[in-house]
Amino acid sequence: MKTSENSLGERRHLLLFGGSASAFILAYFGARALLELYPMATWLRIAVVLFPILPFGLLLLTIIRGIRQMDELERRIQLEALAVAFPLTLLLLMILGLLELAVKLKPEDWSYRHLWPFMFIFYLVGLMTAKRRYE
Amino acid sequence: MKNRLKVLRAEHDWTQEELATQLGTSRQTINSIETGKYDPSLPLAFKIARLFGRSIEDIFVPNQEVTGSNEDQ
Repeated sequence: MKTSENSLGERRHLLLFGGSASAFILAYFGARALLELYPMATWLRIAVVLFPILPFGLLLLTIIRGIRQMDELERRIQLEALAVAFPLTLLLLMILGLLELAVKLKPEDWSYRHLWPFMFIFYLVGLMTAKRRYE
Repeated sequence: MKNRLKVLRAEHDWTQEELATQLGTSRQTINSIETGKYDPSLPLAFKIARLFGRSIEDIFVPNQEVTGSNEDQ
């Protein structure tokens, strides 16, 4: 009974995760396409470009709920993954900050939207390292 | 910390998955405890002890106990 409850919960979590992630991807590319295709007033451009925040917020809430449902070892693994990802992100930001003192970094190469994939990669590195430790 | 979880589980003829379900935890957690890579929290250690009808000290033995007794001598 407990197993079927757990698998039902996991299925629901996966569904919510997949749904909110898909909604975010659609909203993000949709917003970019709208900005490129149609000329708009500045306030409307801001509203369109910030629209993906809604599904992304839902995605983050789903992730937080998922962590709350994890058992103690899984939570520790997540904590260790973040303990790797956070300092690596700080290191990257520091390198970019220091480089900016010496050279002008091109915004088309190094803006905020170029940084978040690195955070995701750092988190995956931390996650794999932590998982291997407890295998 | 050393433990007798694998032995006790074998005595009951339970798989790691079955034990994990009874304790409300994951199979990976059971495996990590059995291989000594993870020390369970106190609430989980109590759950394990209750499930097998033993005391925590019967199942979990701290490594320091051996070192500590040597230091006392």
